[in-house]
Amino acid sequence: MAGMQAQLARRSPTTRDEEADPLDTTADVETPEHVRFRYRTAGPARRAAAYLVDLMVRAVIISVFGFLALIGGASLGEEGIGGVGIGLLLTLYFLVEWFYYVVSETLMGGRSLGKRALRLRVVKQSGVPLSFSDSLLRNLLRGADLLPNFYLVGMIVMGRDRYFRRLGDMVAGTLVVSEESSRVREPLMIHPPPTAKELSRIPARPGLSADEVEALELFVGRFGQLSPARQEELADLVAPTLADRLGLRYRSAARFLGLLYFRETRGVLPEESQPPRPTPNLADYGPGFQPPPQPGQGWP
Amino acid sequence: MIGRDEFVAKRSARWDELERLLVDKGLHRLPPATISRIAALYRSICADLMRARSLGIGADVTGHLDVLASRAHNVLYAPKPYRLRALWELVLFGFPRAFRANWRFNLLAFVLFYLPFVVGILGALHSTEFAEGILPRSMLRGMEEAYSHGFDDGRATGADAAMAGFYVHNNVGIAFRCFSTGILFGFGSMFFLVYNGLVTGTVLGHVMHVGHGVNILTFVCGHSPFELNAIVIAGGAGLQMGYALVRTDGLTRTASLRRRAPELFAQISGAAFMLLIAAFIEGFWSPSSIPPPVKWGFAGVMTILVLLYLLLFGRQRTRPVKAKPGRKRGDSADAPPPSSRMSSPPPSSRMSTPPVSAPPPSFASPRQGG
Repeated sequence: MAGMQAQLARRSPTTRDEEADPLDTTADVETPEHVRFRYRTAGPARRAAAYLVDLMVRAVIISVFGFLALIGGASLGEEGIGGVGIGLLLTLYFLVEWFYYVVSETLMGGRSLGKRALRLRVVKQSGVPLSFSDSLLRNLLRGADLLPNFYLVGMIVMGRDRYFRRLGDMVAGTLVVSEESSRVREPLMIHPPPTAKELSRIPARPGLSADEVEALELFVGRFGQLSPARQEELADLVAPTLADRLGLRYRSAARFLGLLYFRETRGVLPEESQPPRPTPNLADYGPGFQPPPQPGQGWP
Repeated sequence: MIGRDEFVAKRSARWDELERLLVDKGLHRLPPATISRIAALYRSICADLMRARSLGIGADVTGHLDVLASRAHNVLYAPKPYRLRALWELVLFGFPRAFRANWRFNLLAFVLFYLPFVVGILGALHSTEFAEGILPRSMLRGMEEAYSHGFDDGRATGADAAMAGFYVHNNVGIAFRCFSTGILFGFGSMFFLVYNGLVTGTVLGHVMHVGHGVNILTFVCGHSPFELNAIVIAGGAGLQMGYALVRTDGLTRTASLRRRAPELFAQISGAAFMLLIAAFIEGFWSPSSIPPPVKWGFAGVMTILVLLYLLLFGRQRTRPVKAKPGRKRGDSADAPPPSSRMSSPPPSSRMSTPPVSAPPPSFASPRQGG
């Protein structure tokens, strides 16, 4: 909430810059259709968990096939435990160490088993699936990322990059994104339902930015889990800034935010015949601002 | 202004339909009608997404559409499948081309590896203390032991296989490490080249010093043209990464790295190919009971083959440089090398989608160098 407050405070009332950094760690991709969609980039913690899953998978592969190789080598009956078996085991170990990720990512559309388990996927920065050469480069460079131990270099680089890329991702031009299974929620309700009197104090279109609406939505969605006192406490961090900017007053901060959200997403209540026009505070628009002509006063 | 509920009610049937159609199967296995339906739904959802975002409809709707659009995009815009033939052509032609185009780096890697190598040989020949200063005594003892008698009887085939496995594991690992650590501004590659050159030279020199020189030289002559040079090439590719970080030609550091990616891929694939050959020779030919003169002859032939491969393969018959006399001199430095034609072009260039704007070179702080 404190971060959001900073975001709100930075935004001047007249400019609604769309290019401001989003609240979440996302990467925009522009398609040939000139549509931008957003990938949610995956952070170090989730990738570490996926790494652990993959580590276990690799251990299982090596122990199962290594055991078979040793038995097979021994059954050839040469000097005790067969050299063939050891040779196979070492080759297997090498292949799994360097090529497990390349093979699994290439065959499964950028998802090794661990990534699949944690709903992660490697994609090119242009949004297309990664190819064999990308996968090879990004995984060979694990050799640098895991230095000096426990992927320390990779972690530092990841922490400093806004897309959480490690060195291998930078060379190959790839991103690790998380694919939430998302669905459209039932519409959010505020309780008790807003009365016409309450709504009449809020402009029909408060004019919040998309980020602000998103933040409000996340907050309103948590009403059920917060005690009323906590709701007020959290809402108090943001409500004064918004109220100042919109030139409004409120009694309860949480209720105020709920009403703002309601207005911004639901618009006008059907029973409201004549929505009250908000009186703009002209000083907010900067000096020398002329109010737009009212309908019937100069429009053709 | 359309509200959230109305928007969702109107459009969500299509969203659900697309979600049902996006199964984890290859697109080409679906019936044609389904494919075109997915494409149509994808476009309509892109439009919905833009609309939802501009209307300020809730984060759950835009989030859901983001996920749907990205999944559909991922399915519809697949990369060109990588064919084995393309890989083969890359190794045969693209790799030598990329090797020659970056000859400066490879020469530097060559010097960084072979200079300590020669120092190691001479030092170990001169005194045992030198060798013991570099490698633990037990390891040197082991090496003396291993080469104390020749390979006149060969080795048991089981031991051959074990050693081949060991070489694959150890040497290819060394080469890959020489490459990957180059991203630390080239220092990693430098370190591993010098270190491995010194160790290899010292072992060789020490075994010669204790009097088993013929044995070890006969053993290593067959595979070393492939093995040592592949390590050099991998290190050279690592140095290129380091250099790309320093000299960016006005790009961000990540973009500068990415520009090199096709060439790096060609060279590291070629090095891996050479190491694979080396591992087989080292596992099965070198320790066999074939008489030494044959082995020496084989080594000579292999050396010439490697040289021919690296210097002559993949040359273009027509010379575009001569065809255009009016060409400026500076062009050749910036133009992508011919090898990039062989390797798969980045899919983004095919689709003319600009990459996500590269961030400032934040990770290139000198704190992480070395």
